[in-house]
Amino acid sequence: MKDQISRIEKEAREDLSRIDSVDAVEAFRIAYLGKKGRLTDLFKQLGAVPAEEKKAVGAELNRVKQWLELSVAEFRQKNPAAGASSEMFDETLPGIRPPHGSIHLLQQTIQEISGIFNRMGFQTVEGPEIETEFHNFTALNIPLDHPSRDAFDTFYTTHGQLLRSQTSTVQIRVMKERKPPLKIIAPGRVYRPDTVDASHSFMFHQIEGLMVDDRVTFSDLKGVLHLFLRELFGSEIKIRFRPHFFPFTEPSVEIDIQWGKGWLEILGAGSVDPNVFDEVGYDKTTVKGFAFGLGVERIAMLRHGIQDIRHFYENDLRFLRQF
Amino acid sequence: MKISTNWLKDFVELAPPVARIAERLTLAGLEVKKCESLTHPSDTLFEIEITSNRPDWLSHWGVAREIAAVENIALKNPAVDPETGRTPPPGWKIQIKDAGGCPYYTGVLIEGITEHKTPDFIVNRLLACGIRSIDLIVDITNYVLLEVGQPLHAFDADLIRGKEIVVRKSKQGEKFALINGSEIELRPDDLVIADSDRAVALAGVMGGKDSEISDKTRNIFLESAFFNPGRVRKTSRAHQLVSDSSYRFERRVDPEGVDLGRSRAIALIQKYAKPRYISAVIKAGEKPQLEVKTIHLRADEVTSILGVEIKPSQIALILGRLGLHVKQHMPGSWTVGIPSFRPDLVRPIDLIEEIARIYGYENIPETLPVREPLAIAESPRLVLERKVRHLLSGAGLCETVTFSLISQDGLSSSKDLKHAVQIVNPLQHGLHWMRPTMVTSLLHVIQKNVNAGADSVPVFEIANTYGISDQQKHPVEERTCAIALYGKKAAQTWLDAARAVTLYDLKGCVEEILKNAGCADLCVAKIQRSYFAEGTGEEIRAWQTPLAFLGQVSGELLKTWDLKEPVYYAEISLEKLLAQSPKTRAFKEWPKYPAIERDLSLVVKEFVRGGDLISEIRGMGQGLLREVELFDLFRGKRVPEGCKNLAFRMIYQSAERTLVSDEVQKLHDRIAQTLVQKYQASFQKS
Repeated sequence: MKDQISRIEKEAREDLSRIDSVDAVEAFRIAYLGKKGRLTDLFKQLGAVPAEEKKAVGAELNRVKQWLELSVAEFRQKNPAAGASSEMFDETLPGIRPPHGSIHLLQQTIQEISGIFNRMGFQTVEGPEIETEFHNFTALNIPLDHPSRDAFDTFYTTHGQLLRSQTSTVQIRVMKERKPPLKIIAPGRVYRPDTVDASHSFMFHQIEGLMVDDRVTFSDLKGVLHLFLRELFGSEIKIRFRPHFFPFTEPSVEIDIQWGKGWLEILGAGSVDPNVFDEVGYDKTTVKGFAFGLGVERIAMLRHGIQDIRHFYENDLRFLRQF
Repeated sequence: MKISTNWLKDFVELAPPVARIAERLTLAGLEVKKCESLTHPSDTLFEIEITSNRPDWLSHWGVAREIAAVENIALKNPAVDPETGRTPPPGWKIQIKDAGGCPYYTGVLIEGITEHKTPDFIVNRLLACGIRSIDLIVDITNYVLLEVGQPLHAFDADLIRGKEIVVRKSKQGEKFALINGSEIELRPDDLVIADSDRAVALAGVMGGKDSEISDKTRNIFLESAFFNPGRVRKTSRAHQLVSDSSYRFERRVDPEGVDLGRSRAIALIQKYAKPRYISAVIKAGEKPQLEVKTIHLRADEVTSILGVEIKPSQIALILGRLGLHVKQHMPGSWTVGIPSFRPDLVRPIDLIEEIARIYGYENIPETLPVREPLAIAESPRLVLERKVRHLLSGAGLCETVTFSLISQDGLSSSKDLKHAVQIVNPLQHGLHWMRPTMVTSLLHVIQKNVNAGADSVPVFEIANTYGISDQQKHPVEERTCAIALYGKKAAQTWLDAARAVTLYDLKGCVEEILKNAGCADLCVAKIQRSYFAEGTGEEIRAWQTPLAFLGQVSGELLKTWDLKEPVYYAEISLEKLLAQSPKTRAFKEWPKYPAIERDLSLVVKEFVRGGDLISEIRGMGQGLLREVELFDLFRGKRVPEGCKNLAFRMIYQSAERTLVSDEVQKLHDRIAQTLVQKYQASFQKS
């Protein structure tokens, strides 16, 4: 056995001297140390060696094995494989990052809110921003002499249309086009001639929602909107329903969330006013519904601690890239 | 409006703490925004905010009435004078010439006022509500306004000419001096109170200087009237005059309050001003009546709207607490009489809301509607938009949101704005166009960021552009993706050098979007835009449909926006892209046989277009050329002046067999020869 070991060692030394490539060193390693390698074979025969010699033979085998492994490693270090860097990788240096783009925070907020309602079965729809008085006011039960129709509160075009002042217009368009049941949400831009300051802008974003069928109730409105707010703000959120007035819903409600020590208005909603059903040609005696609307900027400002609405429209990359 | 809780206690008992009452009111829809404690005298003020449908809450008595309903407690009425004056004021008359503007006008003549000092409690209460004490009579009119919500006006009777009160429209070019010292020219539609000669008050808005009461006033004519809400609002807005009176008249006062307010004022004047004579009340016109005086309501209507069953007995109780007159026909069915101060109640649904309010929204259970699923497909446009957003943001661009309203700056009115939608009443100077392109919006964004120190501004926006042509009645809104690139392509690292972004980077973004949307068979054409530098505009089309255009922003615009480096700008019509893009894409097998790569490096004259070379090469591929790719383009070095070197990598591959090197070489040489002949190309020796 000992002779066999020394013969293998001698031959290995000769083989090693002739090795000239990374491939060859791998072939050499397999020939001696692989599963069926020559040295591995000797290890397998160790069981047949008489007990008194076993210890010495085993030690000898291990010495040769270590020498072979070291030789292979040494060759590899001196002859790096093609493509492998000879420089050391410095794990303390930062990586080189791909370019950093972003989706606008308002868009992300719209997608998140829409996503929650989509999962509850509300379909996202859109409507035009340049609208008629009918869709923006008349059909929404807003009387002809209502102040919101004034040029102080609504932009008008030279062609006699207006810029929608609320996404509720989409309710009307969808109801005029389709029959109940309906479950929709409609995000989009709206316009009001407000002077721009930290909390106002003449253009902002709203999301309108509408559910219509033959039996939906005010208590369903409460359930759906509470679930929405829990999804958006977390299950711990405290809310309250406060009676309010909107021309196109009755009963109407504003929903506040508890924020710090006080309450903050976050959603306007209500059961669809029967006059609205009249306007769109639904039978108000058999059709029931609820509608809601929310301001996207307001929600984004609250959730991200943004104090000034103008950040959204100034598009400073330092702002955009934070989200 | 500020409400003094001390004052409320004249009408209702307020069980402490008052903060609890504030909360109850808020949860019943009468929002108390703030509670404020006062000392000397001690009081708590409610800052209330009312909704436009509830002007009856614009007084202490009105708020007390709501507290009585919410708390289910008794309500006391204000102390009024029985109006004992028997004799009509000698010679005085009231004439209404515009009944539309003023259906009901009443007045009383009070003579021989001896006291002018306002009692402390009135001074304090007015002050608590934010009104300064002026003079006893004025203070009393203000006090009554805050107490019962009826605006009154007191004229100095000696300054009214002809003992005549005429309610009429203003005359052509009529001027009027207001109590506040300014003079206005009246509009034809303005309603005025006049004497025999001239206007003495702008009806419901403000009194006149000429008939104002002073400390010398001994005799007054006290007005209490109902003015048309719309007319008061128009006058108030047109002259930008807002008063406590106009605020209430334009929201509609309670017609019954006209008499109540006057009686209340007379009682106070009698007591504190100690007049010698109070005339009988003179009146003109009729109190406006409610259009709907009774409403029928059934209990099952309440349940079907609210989703909660409220006992009929409780419904009747709630309506009664609100001051409505409830008459039961049969169990669960009522006729409800509506009082004059609730013109907002006309339909059963209005009563249902009242019931819900007092029952408490918080007591209505929350349920989740369980239904069959409806159409759940997502709009393909939204899907496409999301794809584009992710693609561009992933490529390092930041999405912006800029205003759809723009000024004319940088755009040509004869070209760009020819079919643009214009706003009649722009808010800010110049912002009166609905943008037909986003180029100027994004130039603003680039300028802002460059000024803030950015050396690379890659941005995009997905929004509508707007236009209207002469044939169209309604404007067209087109969902558009705009892209603008400025400055460095990417920051310098130890591995890569920094380089400036180019028009080809922009074109690559556009192509990637088109490819991602599944658009094939595209062609390009040069185009001209007023805001592009000459010769840089390009349109990408699918057959005849233009899908996108791009170019380099003109030097003139760069100057306008003070930018030193070029801006590259593109717009993609997502609407048109959607129409071109297939719903699903079929899988394409790739060739199984090996490919052979050959490079072709050519020197051509500057005017030879790379795209033409590529199509030429493709056309000669005999079905064996799978790909042609430009991998290098340079000038100078060993390239002659006026020429450029293009290097193509060509991949030959057959779907049917393994290609032999010889045949590929032959084909490759033939292509090269053709290019040499056709385009006067020469080979670059490497």
